[in-house]
Amino acid sequence: MSGQRVPLRPLSRVIEARQKGESPDYIERENLRQRHEAERDKLRLRAEGRILVVALCFLLGFGAIGVRMGALAASEPQEPDTILANAVIQTGRADIVDRQGRIMATNLLTNALYAHPHEMVDPIAAAEGLVEIFPEMDYDRLVAQLTSERRFLWLRRSISPEQEQAVHDLGEPGLLFGPREIRLYPNGAIAAHVMGGASFGQEAVNAAEIVGVAGLEAQFDAQLRDPARAQNPLRLSLDLAIQSATEEVLASGMGLMNARGASAVLMDAHSGEVIALASLPDFDPNARPRPLTTGNDPSQSPLFNRAVQGVYELGSVFKVFTVAQALDLGMVTPETVIDTSSPLRIAGFNIRDFRDYGPRQTATEVIVHSSNIGTARIADEIGPDRQRMFLEDLGLLEPAPLEIVEARTGRPMIPARWERLSTMTISYGHGLSVSPLHLASGLAAMVNGGTRVTPSLIAQDQPPEAGQRVISEQTSTQINAMMRAVVDGGTASLAEVEGYEMGGKTGTADKPNPAGGYYEDRVIATFAGAFPMRDPKYVLIVTLDEPEIVALGETRRTAGWTAAPVAAEILRRVGPLLDMQPVIAPAVVSQLSSHIE
Amino acid sequence: MSFSLYQINTVPSGWRKVLYLNWPLVLLLSIVACIGFMMLYSVAGGSMEPWVMPQAQRFAIGMTAMFVIAMIPIAFWRLVSGLGYAVSLILLLYVEFFGTVGMGAQRWLDLGPFRLQPSELAKITIVMVLAAYYARIDSAKTSHPLYILPPLVLILIPVFLTLKQPDLGTALLLLLGGGAVVFAAGVHWAYFATLIAAGGATVFAVFASRGTEWQLLKDYQFRRIDTFIDPTQDPLGAGYHITQSQIALGSGGFSGRGFMEGTQSRLNFLPEKHTDFIFTTLAEEFGFIGASSLLFIYLLIVALCIWTALSTKDRFASLLSLGIAATFFLYFAINMAMVMGLAPVVGVPLPLVSYGGTAMMVLLAAFGLVQSAHIHRPR
Repeated sequence: MSGQRVPLRPLSRVIEARQKGESPDYIERENLRQRHEAERDKLRLRAEGRILVVALCFLLGFGAIGVRMGALAASEPQEPDTILANAVIQTGRADIVDRQGRIMATNLLTNALYAHPHEMVDPIAAAEGLVEIFPEMDYDRLVAQLTSERRFLWLRRSISPEQEQAVHDLGEPGLLFGPREIRLYPNGAIAAHVMGGASFGQEAVNAAEIVGVAGLEAQFDAQLRDPARAQNPLRLSLDLAIQSATEEVLASGMGLMNARGASAVLMDAHSGEVIALASLPDFDPNARPRPLTTGNDPSQSPLFNRAVQGVYELGSVFKVFTVAQALDLGMVTPETVIDTSSPLRIAGFNIRDFRDYGPRQTATEVIVHSSNIGTARIADEIGPDRQRMFLEDLGLLEPAPLEIVEARTGRPMIPARWERLSTMTISYGHGLSVSPLHLASGLAAMVNGGTRVTPSLIAQDQPPEAGQRVISEQTSTQINAMMRAVVDGGTASLAEVEGYEMGGKTGTADKPNPAGGYYEDRVIATFAGAFPMRDPKYVLIVTLDEPEIVALGETRRTAGWTAAPVAAEILRRVGPLLDMQPVIAPAVVSQLSSHIE
Repeated sequence: MSFSLYQINTVPSGWRKVLYLNWPLVLLLSIVACIGFMMLYSVAGGSMEPWVMPQAQRFAIGMTAMFVIAMIPIAFWRLVSGLGYAVSLILLLYVEFFGTVGMGAQRWLDLGPFRLQPSELAKITIVMVLAAYYARIDSAKTSHPLYILPPLVLILIPVFLTLKQPDLGTALLLLLGGGAVVFAAGVHWAYFATLIAAGGATVFAVFASRGTEWQLLKDYQFRRIDTFIDPTQDPLGAGYHITQSQIALGSGGFSGRGFMEGTQSRLNFLPEKHTDFIFTTLAEEFGFIGASSLLFIYLLIVALCIWTALSTKDRFASLLSLGIAATFFLYFAINMAMVMGLAPVVGVPLPLVSYGGTAMMVLLAAFGLVQSAHIHRPR
């Protein structure tokens, strides 16, 4: 049907039908049907045409991918240095040293072993010899490879001098060596999470590039690789001896407390320099394991940096921030009496205390006895906006700017809507998740006289300028006295170390259950402390994941029983390394002298 | 014989429908999924954890969903396509405000045990709603400017929302997948010519915006484009993705290094090796033969969908099957091209192989629609 439209009721046919005595209506119906069918056929044809055009595009796409695949697959049997001729491989990565100049990461020159099968005199004998030197090589496979048409074959990326000599003694001209630097961490697992690790980037037979894949190595990759700076090692704020002692004590503490994991941060309270940063379980950066070793939860991998990447509801340690803000706003003094009658009902939600110390407590007692109710009442006066601004000023609401790539993933989890109830729960450390590192820098600002610190892993030659003021010096002094009281007779009395005047706050937070709600028997126990409390120089955070001990006939998980003694033990070990003069209280001195008599 | 009578006589009903499933398609999908399991097993260092088991569970769920969807008449799916589209838009908006941030982008919705990526769902619902639209309007008006407007809006809303996340790859998939349906519906050539010209202008605008206040893409997206144009200029920074995967492809050679023998992809050189870059593991371990076999299976799957599109007389079913074929094609074409350095790195998974729950389940559900179209086609 083209061009001229056939009329639906052609006059001649209608007349013809009438003459035969038939109804002419069927003519119209039939013509209409024919017209529709023709229309539909035309449409179908066009639709099919279009579909075929699309299919043709697909086919072209398939073709392009297939051709490219073939081209890439055929590109193999060449020596890598000819493929990568356009890029010069840079070797000589700068060392990393601790604050005292001790080596944390350096390079070691070894050899890589490769083969030119087409130049081999006796591939079978060579394969036999190689299998003897490298028992893990597969003989049949090696024979197949060495007798193939390939012109190039990597055998081992890095071999020892003894192995090199043994291969050399085979006398096979088709087996060749290329110099190769490998990255070495002489201290093994110490500071593993800070160092991260490195692997090979571009590989050619005469050199291979070392690429930082995690931690500092990835963060400072460009700088470490810069030939102009190869002679200047990267100097860290970490102290190898302190780091090592911290890790050792933390590891035994984790074992004693039956915890799944642990982390510790030791930070200079004024400069924000991190002196030690430990996360357990750890790994050896010389042989960095594959990610995700067990289960589906990356935070259970030893690669996971609990101190920086792990964000947890840290519990009562947050009370320090709440009370400090209230003191600073002039809302309370350490002696102000606060209503702590139990329970406190808010929006169908009951806030209770771990132990009831009566319906009235002073602000100092709220901290010393760790009263959730008292803190929540104070926070209610502060209000959501001011609380949020305060925590933001402390840097607790954004990833900490630490110089390792993982720090960016340690993003605090803040409530979607920050209203009255969240304000009250956040005041005692629930509903807001931050990393132990966040806590360290937040606490540093509380104890150092009231200025914000920026955490850093790089040694600072000059004392940095004081950061933004977050609380007044007077408030800082008051909060320090309160924290000292917590250790000197409060919930953290097990954290007392004679002569160092440790002060701090414990926090025991139920762990969130992925299926909803909280576990009743799994906690994150945190001790956040500083010392010496008269003029705090260092902040120490210890976090234990699911600790559980039996003491005095009871199962105990609270931080006062678990994290606090571990923190004390760390301080006992690292205190003498920190060039600090322990202060012996006069009472103790007189006791000592009475002993002498 | 009326149309409904015709349908009753020729469309199978009840359990007989199972016999009329497109079984070759089921077989091919299962093969691809098995290849995926093998690769995930290999990149995990020879372990079912952490990737194979969850992936297999999702495959089982997805397959079940496919069979259930296939049993329901295609007419029902036409009726609910508008609703489906609306739901996916709401989810996209929801994720914009309440989503979990993963890998620097806001793409996830936390639903307890599941994490849903609404943009994956949108890829299918956009195809459904467009097919339903063209099945409904008078075919003579297909190219009328007024009737071009609704599909344009339907496509651009989700494209805009996914660009905001930001997820360039998905936005591209939505745009091209929707475009394929509009094209197949028979819209006049001139519109597409105009659109391509406009696209060119947009690309120009995007590049002109670079470095200014109203920059349209994030810096890392610009860098990805830069390194695509010249991967060697920064072979260890952003270009690392591309050169390493090309080396992996090259080192596989013709027949590959053998199962679990890959080095490039197991020595932690390749980032995202279990998701977007899993193809490199395949290419390295099974070489050109393995890679081209997978490509061929994909080709067959697309061909089966197109065959369904051609053999049904129902306009909705035909456009839907074609749209799903196009979406599927775009998935792996963009992914493979990206891995092989033919396209910028945009973050599109290899369908049914890459680790990732939503993509697999949504794709299997989409094939359920194709199956439904196949079973319930007026013959």
